[in-house]
Amino acid sequence: MLEVRGHARGGQGMVTAFEILAKIFSHSGKYQVQAFPAFGVERTGAPIQAFLRISKEPILNRSNVYHPHLILVFDEALIEQVPVFDGIRSGGSVLFNTDRDPEEFSGKADKIYTIPATKISLEKGLGSKSLPIVNAAMIGAVIKILDADINIAKQIIGNNVPSKPVENMKAAEVAYNSLTGIDSINKFLLGSIETGNDGEETLLLADEQKKQFLVQLEEIPKVPYWSQPMSLNKTGNWRVLTPTYVTRDAPCTTNCPAGTDVRKFVDLTSEKKFVEAYDVIYEHNPFPSVCGRVCPHFCEQNCNRMELDEGLNIGSIERFLGDRSFKSELKSYKITQKEKIAVVGAGPAGLTAALRLTEKGYPTTVFEALPYAGGMMRTGIPEFRLPKNILDEEIKRIERQGVNIILNKKVTVKELENDFNAVIVAVGSHIGSKMNIPDEDIVLDGIVFLHNFKMKNDNQGVSKDDEVAIIGGGNTAIDVARTILRLGGKPTIYYRRTRKEMPAIAHEVDEALAEGVEIKFLTAPVGISKNDRIDLTLIDMELGEPDESGRRRPVPIKGSESTVTADKIIAAIGQKPDDFVFAGNEIKASQGKIEYDASVAVFCSGDMAWGGTVTEAIGSGNKVAEEVNAFFRGEPYSHEETEKDIVIPAELNFAYYLPTSRTQNPVKKSRDFYNDFDEVIKGLTESEILIESKRCLHCGDCFSCGNCYNYCPDAAIFIDEENRLRIDYDYCKGCGICAQECPCSAINFQMNEVVL
Amino acid sequence: MSNSSSIKNKVEKKKKQDAKQYNRHTLKILKGNFAAAEGAKLCRTGFIPAYPITPQTTIVEALSDMVGRGEMDATFINMDSEHSVFAAAMGASLAGERVFTATSGQGLFYAHEVLHAIAHFRLPIVICNVGRPSIPWNIWSDQTDSLSQRDTGWVQFYGESSQEVLDDIIQGYFIAEKLDLPVMIVLDAFYQSHTSENVWVPDINLIDEFLPAKEKTGSEIDVSNPKSYGGLIPTEHYEKFNIKFWQDINKVEDLTNEIGKKFGDLFGREYSAVEAVNIKPETKMILVTLSSITTTARGVLKQHPEVGLLKLRLFKPFPKKSVLKILNHVSNNCIIVNIERNFLGDNEGAIMHEMKRALYGSSFKMYDVYTGLGGKDVPPSTIEKIIRKTFNAPEDVVWIDFE
Repeated sequence: MLEVRGHARGGQGMVTAFEILAKIFSHSGKYQVQAFPAFGVERTGAPIQAFLRISKEPILNRSNVYHPHLILVFDEALIEQVPVFDGIRSGGSVLFNTDRDPEEFSGKADKIYTIPATKISLEKGLGSKSLPIVNAAMIGAVIKILDADINIAKQIIGNNVPSKPVENMKAAEVAYNSLTGIDSINKFLLGSIETGNDGEETLLLADEQKKQFLVQLEEIPKVPYWSQPMSLNKTGNWRVLTPTYVTRDAPCTTNCPAGTDVRKFVDLTSEKKFVEAYDVIYEHNPFPSVCGRVCPHFCEQNCNRMELDEGLNIGSIERFLGDRSFKSELKSYKITQKEKIAVVGAGPAGLTAALRLTEKGYPTTVFEALPYAGGMMRTGIPEFRLPKNILDEEIKRIERQGVNIILNKKVTVKELENDFNAVIVAVGSHIGSKMNIPDEDIVLDGIVFLHNFKMKNDNQGVSKDDEVAIIGGGNTAIDVARTILRLGGKPTIYYRRTRKEMPAIAHEVDEALAEGVEIKFLTAPVGISKNDRIDLTLIDMELGEPDESGRRRPVPIKGSESTVTADKIIAAIGQKPDDFVFAGNEIKASQGKIEYDASVAVFCSGDMAWGGTVTEAIGSGNKVAEEVNAFFRGEPYSHEETEKDIVIPAELNFAYYLPTSRTQNPVKKSRDFYNDFDEVIKGLTESEILIESKRCLHCGDCFSCGNCYNYCPDAAIFIDEENRLRIDYDYCKGCGICAQECPCSAINFQMNEVVL
Repeated sequence: MSNSSSIKNKVEKKKKQDAKQYNRHTLKILKGNFAAAEGAKLCRTGFIPAYPITPQTTIVEALSDMVGRGEMDATFINMDSEHSVFAAAMGASLAGERVFTATSGQGLFYAHEVLHAIAHFRLPIVICNVGRPSIPWNIWSDQTDSLSQRDTGWVQFYGESSQEVLDDIIQGYFIAEKLDLPVMIVLDAFYQSHTSENVWVPDINLIDEFLPAKEKTGSEIDVSNPKSYGGLIPTEHYEKFNIKFWQDINKVEDLTNEIGKKFGDLFGREYSAVEAVNIKPETKMILVTLSSITTTARGVLKQHPEVGLLKLRLFKPFPKKSVLKILNHVSNNCIIVNIERNFLGDNEGAIMHEMKRALYGSSFKMYDVYTGLGGKDVPPSTIEKIIRKTFNAPEDVVWIDFE
């Protein structure tokens, strides 16, 4: 009985080859055959085995082949991985698929054959370079060695291969003909077919005494369980798809214009690491207390938790961290750079840029036209939204870190160019836009009104019970209206679009309405006439096609004019920058370095460049500081954003989060806000902050929930010395349950091998 | 080359001899599972409910292909579980169809409740079970699944080769339909189910001669003559059904031998309930085996003229008469060694239980050896070890690979 053992990789066609060889040798009717693979759970590329017996007599053995006469090696690289030569019979042969000469394998067996089956197969277009299907060529070589009929073999190959019969037949023939030499036909092997089962059991018993392959009973638990990977079965080589832990982008973080790592500071807060959490914010935003109050909370707008119940109250967490940190320790910075930087404007953009450059070691001076720093945060946001002392504390911190602010100094770029190497212009947008209607001079400017009232306590003629018409739909309009209310007036806002298009922060609009502010939508002023009061003529609007801002353009409805009477009219329809800094030249301000006729580099930042909120101005300040540094260091700088891999709700497993309601801030309620300038929105307590921060879903960031660890059927997930969850790829069979059950989409599951 | 062409001439001559030996057959190289599917097709089964489970799946896949290609006039239905498969098989059989399906391990365990019902509704269904164990979880060869179902009332055959599996299905339908009993043909996982070997496939008209079309018994579902099935049987009548079952199950062994001979006359391959190999009055040891281990034991026996082999082809109902008939002529000093590829949670394996029942009152020494469970390979050396160990230091029950 001839016994053959094959070694190949899954996908090379070996099991089919052995079945075809069985068919070829049984074809004559002279021989009994038996062909079978070693049964495992195999996959493409994994080492596999197959067995073939050919005998003149009935085959009286159904076990694996341990002592082959002939070994077929379909991939020579397997020699390093698998004991391919084990148990070869004395006088036995090995056939290698290789381009090398038989001499290079001498000593491995009494007779070595080599055949370039990969080359032959690829020439015939069988399989791919990474996985050539070499079975027909290997069959051809075996036919030669065993002196069988190549024509019958070709016919059987043609009838039994799953595809490309002609190419496979040709490959077999090429291999058959290329195995030359007088002793290609192996008499020893042919002889073995004719004899019976020659003492296999004696050989095997001798093997057993040599090997210690019996597993000791004590090593096996009574119950088939494993809390660590099951050492009995290394299932890692089953894997086609591979899970890996990844950190993906969270929508809160990617949406923050300042660039704050929101997910991280929320996480640290939930662990009660308030100092570390504050530091994370401060890295991008030196105004957490301000932003916690007045930012539209871009981070909350795409919070994935909104799909489950209610988005996280991130603003309050930021506010809490900011307010408890006024007295905390600060780093101070040494001047290490020679280039001197001037910043024009002490608003959020200018101060942030100055702080960043100070951190980087640049001597930096901020020039402020007004007698106080803070820009629009100071002059444009009413006390009931942002108390003065909060802003004072955050600016004080910046100054304590070495930023020099010179107040009451309205400068032009020209004045600075001799003393500085770069000028950052961040003068904001403090000049109110005009409505361009006749007799507009009797209309008050909203931004001026807010400034004068807050800084000089000047109510600008607004008396108790005055009816005040406010034109606009932004935050200034809302702030003006709520200030009027507190002065005892009756404010009505007229806005040309609908509530949906209002640029004001939504919760501010809600609060204004709750306080008693009236808002009329889809109406715009067309005329004013002054008598003892003021008649304001309005025209109704309807929404047309979207404009460049993406909002639907308001279109007047002909003949729909109507008139209302008011005591005061205040316009809040937008602001523009003061061009004094450029000596009255009209400059198109844009983020970063601009073309300007000066002997120093000039950069723009803040409201005048882009945005319109405090947080955007802060982000703009961070960016301009990076750009200035890159400019002086001769490094490349790009305004391009890197592509983000943002976790979307569909990628989260909401079943693993308990629905809980958002911890809302207490809002001051009153029947009458007359003369009440107290802060309207109150902060949350420490215990409320802890509850709220723990509601974070940790989108795209492993929070060690252990679902993967619990669900892995092979216990292939372990906790490493740094207390992180990790995958043992020796045992991970690539089932994907971990990725499926990961609540926060922090496990990638893809068709690629992990290189450890 | 002249040498090889003369070999070829001799081959042609031999081929003709073989063809004569198995007249009206085609030699094919088939895996056990494909031989099983071939058997079901040749028996003109008309209804195949299916649910996949390794290592059986390729049986129902092959049948699905045959039905799809129009080679079989059968209804093939994918069911949602093995319990449903057997329920559907029961319904179709009640309606008079010749039914076939295949399962394995957990699938058979899951169908347990319906197995009883099929047997005692007296439905002549034939199935293949490709054996595998339950827990500890494993997909490889093991007879624990089918042997644990031995009390469901099903007739059980254990096939030693792909040829035998195919032939057993044909004879299985004959016995099933003759006695109104279900028949389970068991084959070993992978060592049989996935092993390609020589199989002589009979021409279908040969089978038609042996196995007539299924006759109506009158108990089938018939819309023009509505009946009620499965109604509550009062206590005073219940045993009557058991007695009728008992009478028929007692006929299985004789019918197996009788029909095995008839099959031999027609097909050229004779079968019996048990097979004695090298059993003589002076035989010192007899190995008792089921399925594929038998083949390997046959090989080892060539070195051991003093050892005989008793292959149990029919296991349920246990062929007591045939076993006694063989052992009748053997000296009482002969040792009987049962080789168990099953673990039923008892001290001894299933073969030992049945052999002790059969040999009650005799003075044979009997030993039990567990081996090959969960698909562990049983090479000739294991058989050799069993022989040596039992001769030298016999123990009642042995786990041969664990000293």
